[in-house]
Amino acid sequence: MSISRRKFLGWLGAAGAGTTLGRSAHAAGTANFSGYPDALGVLFDVTRCIGCRKCEEACQKVNGLPAPEKPFSDLTVMAQKRRTDSRAYTVVNRYEQDPGVRGPLYRKSQCNHCLEPACASACFVAAFKKQSNGAVTYDESVCVGCRYCMIACPFEIPAYEYDQAFTPRIMKCTFCHPRLVQGQLPGCVEICPAEALTFGKRRDLLRIARERTDRFPGRYLDHVYGETEMGGTAWLTISGVPFRELGMREDLGTTPAPELTKGALSVVPIVAGLWPVLLTGIYAISQRREKIAREEQAAAVTAAVAKAQAEAKAKLADAVAKAEKDKQAAIAKEVKKALEEAAKSSARENPAAAAAEAEKKPN
Amino acid sequence: MPVPKFAIQKPAWTPFNVVAGIIVVVGLVVTVIRFTQGLAATTNLSDYNPWGIWIGFDLLVGVALAAGGYVTSAACYIFGLKRFHSAVRPAILTGFLGYTLVVLALHYDVGRPWRLPYPFIVQRGTTSLLFEVAACVALYLTVLFIEFSPAAMEWLGLKRARQIVVKLTLVLTIFGVVLSTLHQSSLGALFLIAPSKLHPLWYSPYLALYFFVSSIIAGLSMVIFESTMAHRYFHNKMDAEHLRQADGVALGFGKAAAWVLAGYFVIKVVGIAQADTWGYLATSYGAWFLVELLGFVLLPCYAFAISVREKNLKLIRWTAAWSVVGIVVNRFNVGLVAFNYHLPSSERYFPHWMEIAISVFVVTIGVLVYKFIVTHMPILYSHPDYDAH
Amino acid sequence: MTSHRSLSPRAGILKPVAAALMLAALIGCTSAASSPGDTNAPRADIIRIDGLKQFGALERPAVVFLHDKHTKALAPKNKDCAVCHLPDKKYMSTKYMRLKDDSKQQVMGLYHTHCTDCHRQTTAAGEKSGPVVCAGCHGDKQIPSSWREIGMDKSLHYRHVKAQENKCEACHHQFDPAAKNLFYAKGKEETCRYCHLNRTVENVTSFRQAAHDQCIDCHRKKLALNQEAGPAACSGCHDAGLQKKIEKVKEVPRLMRGQPDVTLVQAIQRGGQKVDPGTRAKVVPFNHLAHEAANTSCRVCHHASIEACGTCHTLQGSKEGQFVNLQTAMHRVSAQASCMGCHLGYLADKRCAGCHAAMAPRPPQDVSSCASCHVPPPADTTPQSAPKQVAAALLEARRPVTATYSNDAVPETVMIKALSKQYEPVKMPHRKIVQALAKGIKESKLAAYYHPDPGTLCQGCHHHSPVSTKPPACASCHGRSFDDRNLFKPGLQAAYHLQCMECHHQMGIEKPVATDCTGCHKEKS
Repeated sequence: MSISRRKFLGWLGAAGAGTTLGRSAHAAGTANFSGYPDALGVLFDVTRCIGCRKCEEACQKVNGLPAPEKPFSDLTVMAQKRRTDSRAYTVVNRYEQDPGVRGPLYRKSQCNHCLEPACASACFVAAFKKQSNGAVTYDESVCVGCRYCMIACPFEIPAYEYDQAFTPRIMKCTFCHPRLVQGQLPGCVEICPAEALTFGKRRDLLRIARERTDRFPGRYLDHVYGETEMGGTAWLTISGVPFRELGMREDLGTTPAPELTKGALSVVPIVAGLWPVLLTGIYAISQRREKIAREEQAAAVTAAVAKAQAEAKAKLADAVAKAEKDKQAAIAKEVKKALEEAAKSSARENPAAAAAEAEKKPN
Repeated sequence: MPVPKFAIQKPAWTPFNVVAGIIVVVGLVVTVIRFTQGLAATTNLSDYNPWGIWIGFDLLVGVALAAGGYVTSAACYIFGLKRFHSAVRPAILTGFLGYTLVVLALHYDVGRPWRLPYPFIVQRGTTSLLFEVAACVALYLTVLFIEFSPAAMEWLGLKRARQIVVKLTLVLTIFGVVLSTLHQSSLGALFLIAPSKLHPLWYSPYLALYFFVSSIIAGLSMVIFESTMAHRYFHNKMDAEHLRQADGVALGFGKAAAWVLAGYFVIKVVGIAQADTWGYLATSYGAWFLVELLGFVLLPCYAFAISVREKNLKLIRWTAAWSVVGIVVNRFNVGLVAFNYHLPSSERYFPHWMEIAISVFVVTIGVLVYKFIVTHMPILYSHPDYDAH
Repeated sequence: MTSHRSLSPRAGILKPVAAALMLAALIGCTSAASSPGDTNAPRADIIRIDGLKQFGALERPAVVFLHDKHTKALAPKNKDCAVCHLPDKKYMSTKYMRLKDDSKQQVMGLYHTHCTDCHRQTTAAGEKSGPVVCAGCHGDKQIPSSWREIGMDKSLHYRHVKAQENKCEACHHQFDPAAKNLFYAKGKEETCRYCHLNRTVENVTSFRQAAHDQCIDCHRKKLALNQEAGPAACSGCHDAGLQKKIEKVKEVPRLMRGQPDVTLVQAIQRGGQKVDPGTRAKVVPFNHLAHEAANTSCRVCHHASIEACGTCHTLQGSKEGQFVNLQTAMHRVSAQASCMGCHLGYLADKRCAGCHAAMAPRPPQDVSSCASCHVPPPADTTPQSAPKQVAAALLEARRPVTATYSNDAVPETVMIKALSKQYEPVKMPHRKIVQALAKGIKESKLAAYYHPDPGTLCQGCHHHSPVSTKPPACASCHGRSFDDRNLFKPGLQAAYHLQCMECHHQMGIEKPVATDCTGCHKEKS
């Protein structure tokens, strides 16, 4: 419950604008892949493993891997914790127990062949494939070498040929897929002298594991590692001591790896679809705001100009009117004055000449 | 019309040239070793640590710091903040250079770089977030190239071609923002698949959102930071518009950065609350997380806010540089420091000197190309023959 | 290839560590904790001081206190327990500097004042001493513990009897509720734990308290007089290693407390009425004497009371017996005090585990071995009136011996040719193995009850087939591996290896080791 809510919130957040994402996040919880029917697997029984390293040897042989520096019969190499690397698809490690209580325990590690593999989900050229027989296979012919699969694998299994300059490959247990196809057993299973590795259909293996843990409750813990870890794995493990004491992580959870990125991926088309609309909208708004601002400015300018013009016109008219008035007044005054003069002079000499004189005078 | 000639004749043996020359020579030598001897000869990468600084720095930091392009062009063309116009071209240029260098660096990191187009042409792993990153980076690089091309066309005098590209500005900007949103966030989402390997304080279902939001911070800070640098070294290349707007850009971007940082701080705290990882804060990793959160998020947020209010440009520029460091710290934390936290120290990663050499080499190439372009193309000034679009 | 990479400096954690140091310095309450002399050896004197829990949640982590370390440091200064512990009414109080817990402030204050005072003074005197800052004491120190519970076994009890010159009253007492005092009742002695339970109830202190009060008080008094006495320090009684060194008296005289030598297991009805064993089809004769010899103390069976089992575990169950009825009390496999729980526990013994570890525990409804204990009373006897005589007669008649076939019936060697393509056939020393198995349990009367038939022992290996001197070969059933129509059966090779290796492992036979193929399979010449 809390996980789904957390995821939901996370994906919601990842969207940035999370209104439309609820469905995809919930849908993720209802679709459940519990493996191909009749897919194969291997049950590793820690209580049976004697630490002989025969499986390592067989693995090296059937896969044509380089021979190790020290022979497989040298069991002292198990004093150090080893992991799968580009020269070994599988390793067996020794885990010392409380001395006097029980002897050391051994744990084989190899690719667990997840039902929903993290590596396959992470690979951007789809070089990994979950085969219907349960094997997770790798196609080197398309591998770019980004090593995201190694980041993704919760069991820290894939290794890389760092020393190869031109043809580096991811190296990982193939579940002997080519042998399985031919009806042969995986190399390690075939050689195991004590059937610490039980081969079969995964659902049968779960029954076998349950039968053992039920019949010998003191000998086994009531947990089949791989039944639900990371959504389930084709390889299963049963043990009498807690798995963490055998270097196995117990905090991986039961969510298959693809579920972890499903939400983030589902956001992609939403962003691609919604962002352009949103951004164009913002653009349009900012453009419109600018346009309106421009228009308002233009209108204001026009109005101001008109007003100024009108004022100027009025002023001019006033001035003209005033000038006219002044002129008229001046004329009247001059006329009057001239008439008076004329009247005076005509009175003196010639009144007609005096009137013409007054006409000519500028104002 | 001839290109304006600003370059002043300088002696060839300047300290800059000498150092850059040495770096380039060393880089070329290491390049030869890398491509003839393989990754084992040049890196400390291991089966536990498949990603080193070529991813942690060159990809994660590189992409984040190249976010200035989309942030600035979005601000100018989409949000209509025309007063930032002079900042667009430099930002696009550094974005374009940044992404080019990211892609260049990826050639060193991946095992078979000649297959880098495979995810598009051979087989598509669409369930992978890396596919999304690859697709978006490839497309965005193209977008940036086109966005940048008018500067080159002006330099080359290709008027008609430039005319067409300029008309596409809005579409390209929108496309760029979409692509950036996707791949900036997806870089964070890359780590969603490994909850068991990334420390709970850094692992969060919000990782994608954190990367996206912090890329905005990175973009804003980088623009301020770059303009500071450019003012210092290429002042003579700037035209009046650029010089007039520069302070406004710093103030505006600083203000935006303060807000985004505040939001980022809140969502980081929300992440802690949602995952209920408070308890981890009392551990040594928690202390380091607090250094990142308080020292590189809250502190620059506060400093930006104060400096913008007081119009203290010097403080804005220092804070921008500090934020850039903060982004580097964050990407390093997610990609390297908090990743594989569960492993014993003997299995942890520390870069080989040759890895560092290549990273420095790549950055140096970036600086050199930037220098060439700003001295030859109209980046920091508008070309007198063309109107600002 | 990987290893040379991993030698690189470990910067990944350097940063957080550096940051942590900075932060620690800022916060201030620096830790002066781990003194350099501390080894990580397991200790028996680890006391978690968390008494403040009774006043609410702890504000700081509980203090891990090493008691012996303190007594050892004080001894050369002639300081004894009284430095920290006050005398109470009868015994010294086991609390620190107080008789009872009044309040949080009082308790906390006492520790904070007196512990740090002493630490400071000693430090001032130039000696090595304990911490004086918070985190020095309050911290989640992880010290491995060697602490083991200790109890009075027959040997230890006998040594106390001798030391006290048969004065049982030195330790044993009863409580008189009316007079509210302790008195000694001769012949009513019981183990302390019948009254002193896990926690203090009213007037009865917890077992832990009672044991520490009384044992240590006596030991100390004697030690003060330079007399021979038991330990007074934690590790003396509780350290796993030192416990093993406690002297064991081999021949302990029988402790008499009115128990029978032999008897019939009594069934009592709910009302207290005894069921006439004569009315039952079968009775269980019980050799009490033999069980006394086989166990370390009465408490192994008499877990809550010295009374006969049926007193509390009545036929139908009673309140006193927590409604565990007689049948369950005798048969519950998971209970140590039940017959079957104890008997099945012996299967883990090396001599038994070779065969039995590979056998799943029998389902409860398996009735095939009932007759090992439940037998019909002889027709002419009267179990009710004379249960002891009947029991004695039945036990006399039933002298179990582990049966085996005569040597001629047991093949001396068996050739296993299954892997003869790779190796020479394995010549298995069959008779030697059978003899070794038989020898291991020959002395055990208990084993003899369950191996009555000469073929029983054979079934350790020749399982899932009728008992016979000519059992089917392994390959008759075990064939190819991973047969999906026969999921639970291992293939032939695994069947051999699992059987041989598991038995060798369980019986502690170290050679040949499981990984040494040629130890059994001779190389082909």
